[in-house]
Amino acid sequence: MTPLATILRDSLGLRGTKIGCGNGECGACTVIVDGRAICSCLAPLGRMPGRSIETVESLGGPDDLHPLQRKLVERGAFQCGFCTPGVVMSLIALLRERPDPSDEEVRCALQGNLCRCSGYVKLLEAVREIAREGSHER
Amino acid sequence: MNAEFKVVWKPRPQIEGSAKVSGRAEYTHDMTLPGMAFAAVLRSPHAHARIRSVDLTRARAMPGVVAAVSGREFPDLKYVNAGPAFADRYAMARERVRFVGEEVAALAADSLAEALAALAAIDVAYDVLPAALDVPAALAADAPEIHQKPDLPRNVAQTSVATFGPVDEGFAAAAHILDDTFEHGAVAPVCLETNGVLADFDAASGDLTLWAPSQAPFFVRKEIAHVLELALENVHVRSVVIGGGFGGKSQAPEPIAIAALLAMKAGRPVRLLLNRQEEFLSGKSDHGKKMRVRTAVAADGTILARHTEFWVDNGAYTHMGPAYISAVRQRTCNLYRVRAAGFDGKLVHTNKVSGGSYRGMGAPQIIWAIESQIDEIAERLGRDRLEYRIAIANRPGDETPMGWKIGTCALAECLEEAGRRIGWDEKKHAMPPGRGIGFAAMINPSVGVLYAEGNFACVSIDLQSDGRLRVGTQSADCGTSQNTVMGQLVAEELGVAPELIDVIHMDTDETPPDLGSAASRVTFVSGAAAIKTAQSFRVELEARLARHWDVPAEDISFADGVAGYRDDNERRLSLVEIADLEGPFRVEDRHDIDLPRPDPATGYGHYAATYGFGAQAVEVEVDPTTGHVQVLKVVVVQDVGRVINPLALEGQMHGGIVQGIGMALREELVFDHGAPVNASLITYKAPRIQETPEIETVFIETNDPTGPYGAKVGGEHSINPTPAAVANAVAHATGTRFNRLPITAGDILQVRPRRKPLALEPWKRPYNLEVATARALYPKVLFPGLRRLGARLGRTRTPKPTCAYVRPSDLADALRELAIPGRHAKPIAGGTDLQVGIRQGVYEPDVVVDIADLSELHGISIGEDVVRIGGAVTLSEIVERDDIRARHPMLSEGLAKIATRQIRNVATIAGDLSQEKRCWFFRSGAQCYKAGGVTCPCYAVLGDNRHHAIMGAGRCAAPCVADAAPILTALDATVVVAGTDRLRRIGLEDFYAWSGETVVKPTEIIVGIEIPNSLGETRQTYEKAADWDGDFANASVAARLILRNGRVTSARISLGAVAPLPIRAKQTEAALLHGDSSAAALRSAAELTVRGALPLSGNAYKAELLVNLTQRAIEKCLDETPSPE
Repeated sequence: MTPLATILRDSLGLRGTKIGCGNGECGACTVIVDGRAICSCLAPLGRMPGRSIETVESLGGPDDLHPLQRKLVERGAFQCGFCTPGVVMSLIALLRERPDPSDEEVRCALQGNLCRCSGYVKLLEAVREIAREGSHER
Repeated sequence: MNAEFKVVWKPRPQIEGSAKVSGRAEYTHDMTLPGMAFAAVLRSPHAHARIRSVDLTRARAMPGVVAAVSGREFPDLKYVNAGPAFADRYAMARERVRFVGEEVAALAADSLAEALAALAAIDVAYDVLPAALDVPAALAADAPEIHQKPDLPRNVAQTSVATFGPVDEGFAAAAHILDDTFEHGAVAPVCLETNGVLADFDAASGDLTLWAPSQAPFFVRKEIAHVLELALENVHVRSVVIGGGFGGKSQAPEPIAIAALLAMKAGRPVRLLLNRQEEFLSGKSDHGKKMRVRTAVAADGTILARHTEFWVDNGAYTHMGPAYISAVRQRTCNLYRVRAAGFDGKLVHTNKVSGGSYRGMGAPQIIWAIESQIDEIAERLGRDRLEYRIAIANRPGDETPMGWKIGTCALAECLEEAGRRIGWDEKKHAMPPGRGIGFAAMINPSVGVLYAEGNFACVSIDLQSDGRLRVGTQSADCGTSQNTVMGQLVAEELGVAPELIDVIHMDTDETPPDLGSAASRVTFVSGAAAIKTAQSFRVELEARLARHWDVPAEDISFADGVAGYRDDNERRLSLVEIADLEGPFRVEDRHDIDLPRPDPATGYGHYAATYGFGAQAVEVEVDPTTGHVQVLKVVVVQDVGRVINPLALEGQMHGGIVQGIGMALREELVFDHGAPVNASLITYKAPRIQETPEIETVFIETNDPTGPYGAKVGGEHSINPTPAAVANAVAHATGTRFNRLPITAGDILQVRPRRKPLALEPWKRPYNLEVATARALYPKVLFPGLRRLGARLGRTRTPKPTCAYVRPSDLADALRELAIPGRHAKPIAGGTDLQVGIRQGVYEPDVVVDIADLSELHGISIGEDVVRIGGAVTLSEIVERDDIRARHPMLSEGLAKIATRQIRNVATIAGDLSQEKRCWFFRSGAQCYKAGGVTCPCYAVLGDNRHHAIMGAGRCAAPCVADAAPILTALDATVVVAGTDRLRRIGLEDFYAWSGETVVKPTEIIVGIEIPNSLGETRQTYEKAADWDGDFANASVAARLILRNGRVTSARISLGAVAPLPIRAKQTEAALLHGDSSAAALRSAAELTVRGALPLSGNAYKAELLVNLTQRAIEKCLDETPSPE
């Protein structure tokens, strides 16, 4: 039984999806499947045919950042960056559902994304700002 | 203020930001090479054992295996570490293993699956030895000897005893003497990227190339060259992006030498990545400590003397233990004005994972001990705790007992500002109940590290052919923005736009020597080297142009990226043009801090060029029901000299503070027989976003003459005072001082003054007599006996490396798959427990049958009489349904408290009910009663049982932690189960056989849940207390009351996480039917929930917790508006 994360990383070369634990505990491998943020390390591959899968690579490259990504960089919302693609995917899923999320909704959406560097403070600030500006859609 | 500079003292985003946020940054985990083999490590299951033999014959013959090594294959050499006196570790265990998780053998194979499968074919014979699992045991007269260190007492790696100044006189003259002992366990760095390495060996040239997330390539090179007997110049460490450091990547990690030797043997590149459990088992933690702090205080508050006697738990091998000795000495002698000081410290070996480095290097906890006492001193003196701190703060020009000469110092101002910003004067006499404010300060040397090499750094600057500059530093940026800062410093010094500057770090071929990122030294030391190198670069550039134009060099200027000769417009060249003209060239320079080394035995001496200071103020709120501490606000005021990059430094503050909150309240490795039982990111409780407080960051900028552009060090300042300030705030809020970290909710609940002790009356249940008798016999007789018996006769679990997967098209097909005889099939839906459990050996299926998408298991219908929910409906789908929330709010609210959004998006209602027990002994591979069978013991009786059952436990004490279980029990729900020939309906109260064990047969599938409607005015509440939002409950209460004319006419209350089964609180229910709804009556009814409980040694808090939650649940039911059930 192969998890989606392994195929993304090893077969498709989409290594933006990170493995921090492999057990669904840290959220570094978060991708969006059929509109929902899930841990790709626990998504059985056999269930994926016919589904829409979005990884961080689907948002654009370093020279073509999504407005959310640009905001995270500008506001220093991450440090080592290992959790960041997962955080981005959780936020993209949230902002599609709730373009102007409350702080509590942001915290709820990111509770599964462990970050050891940032203390989450600048991350919350950045999301607050992007929600206020309404600039998270391309 | 910052107008005089263009690039420094200004916020600047990370230069790697775009690559990281877009997922394009290349970490070691992402690196591959053609022909790469995958490595796996066999680890010791014993805390202490003699290795009789390691036989690799069978493993080498396994499919795909290309190389296998044991300790014997390595040269007979130990890591250098902190010098010959501390060199006690081989690259891989040779004759003995000294901790659970120590590397015993390793192999490389064509695929990771093959490597993992082949581990089982390595034959190791051990003679198990007695182990010393904590410091007292290691120092006992009959302790087993962990290392032979002839000049030291048994199991002692270092002693450090000294006094500076008249310590005894101080104690003799004191008006007040305080004498307190403080203790804490080991926390772990928990980088999101685990340690790993890609190693490539070229046999022809003898070159070993390494890609590894190391804070210090310098050390990697030195250590690897040494233990593999390679020439230093043959070891090459290359640049990678690093996924967090915090000390966890600061030494030469063992995986590197192992992968390197495998690559040499295999003749192929080898990649070795630790998994999360291995990272905890072997990745090196912080050091646990016990500290007895004695302080002599004069009537006017002067600290006449301070003395700390302390013991540092070194773990099995010495890595950074000596630096932890140093950290305690330094704070004892230097934090606040102290007339005289002394210490008596021991670094003690135990049979546990070796201590390594972690942010703060032990300073946060000694500061916690001292600052706890400062609060107590202020109290004795009748002085305000902030005013007193300001009065005794270090000040410029001071010389401390240890010989530190304080230069710039704004500690008093930091304390004042912290007090102002937290609102101390306004709040201190009007704190609402449960609120508290705490203060703490810190002092940190601006560099000064154990290694002499820490006081210099080299930097290179290349003019590249495209006209861009490349700054080279062998230090490593683990995410702290130091590369960005290095670029800023060079940009400022040369007047070049920062966008034109690249920075390469780590690479030992392309960058000059530097000790690496440790002790917050990079900005201060490497940064100064960057400025100096930029100056040299300017000189070189001007000299070259002078030669070219044949003019005096002093007439050439270089500014804003353009070089010119006087005001000659013909002779003005951009960097691109200079590169065209001169070709690429390189300049290197170095910066030295010229200070005498401190006394190696005592640490005496002016240790660092300058010292950083800071203060924090923390406000907390303690929930009286659960004991949970919420940190509301942290004010951090730092004197770090001038701030080169405020954006980056604020980030350092935030990250360190939140780590400090974890250290204060939650984080700790929990060991059982030397093995960490919480080696996962659920059970090792690093802070998540819900716990993040408001953080206000203030920098009081002293312009330090010794630092680059006035900067001092900054990185570890953040965490140093945080645990102390949090603990002081908790003491302020609760009136109790806790002398052990972390201070858990359970600790707080147990000391809170209660009305009266709870009457548990366990003897009213005859069954408890039997259980209590067995428990009494556990330490001496039953546990050791059963452990031995189980080892011989018990079942052992071996996680299956692979398992087949089938995806049936409909329910009938799925049931047929499950019914195929001769194999063990398990249905999988969300799979969030099953897949993890398979790796843990908790589940051992040959095949999993995917039922997630079967239409028969989906759909939600809201009928007149019953709500039906398909078994494979996800928790998120249920939580999002307004009609369910309206009908059964407790279900919606309760399911929303399970795990995280990502998990709820796939986890199903049937899966939550069916998940296996979460006992951390059972989950971490202990051969316990439930894992190994009747000949095995329960590990919870003598182990850390804080999460276990307080009632109903027998031979197993695992509690039921499925949140849906008490909720659906209280809702009187039914589980509908399909077999090949019939449907069964099982009431929730008959659904469980034990914790994590249901009556559903292996050939059956849960198709749905039915929740009946009841008549009358229904009120529902689910109360859950867990260590973090989404964690498994420590206790939970689901209450459904039906009221008529304000009186309770029906009550169903079900309790979770306190017993192996979700149990009904029938006595409480009955009391509610007859009692009034006065607070006293509700409390009495709630107290009935714990009648007959028999807590274990460490979970009595759960009784208090359960009663409090029950009371709150009932009160909420009575307050709330009815649901239209």
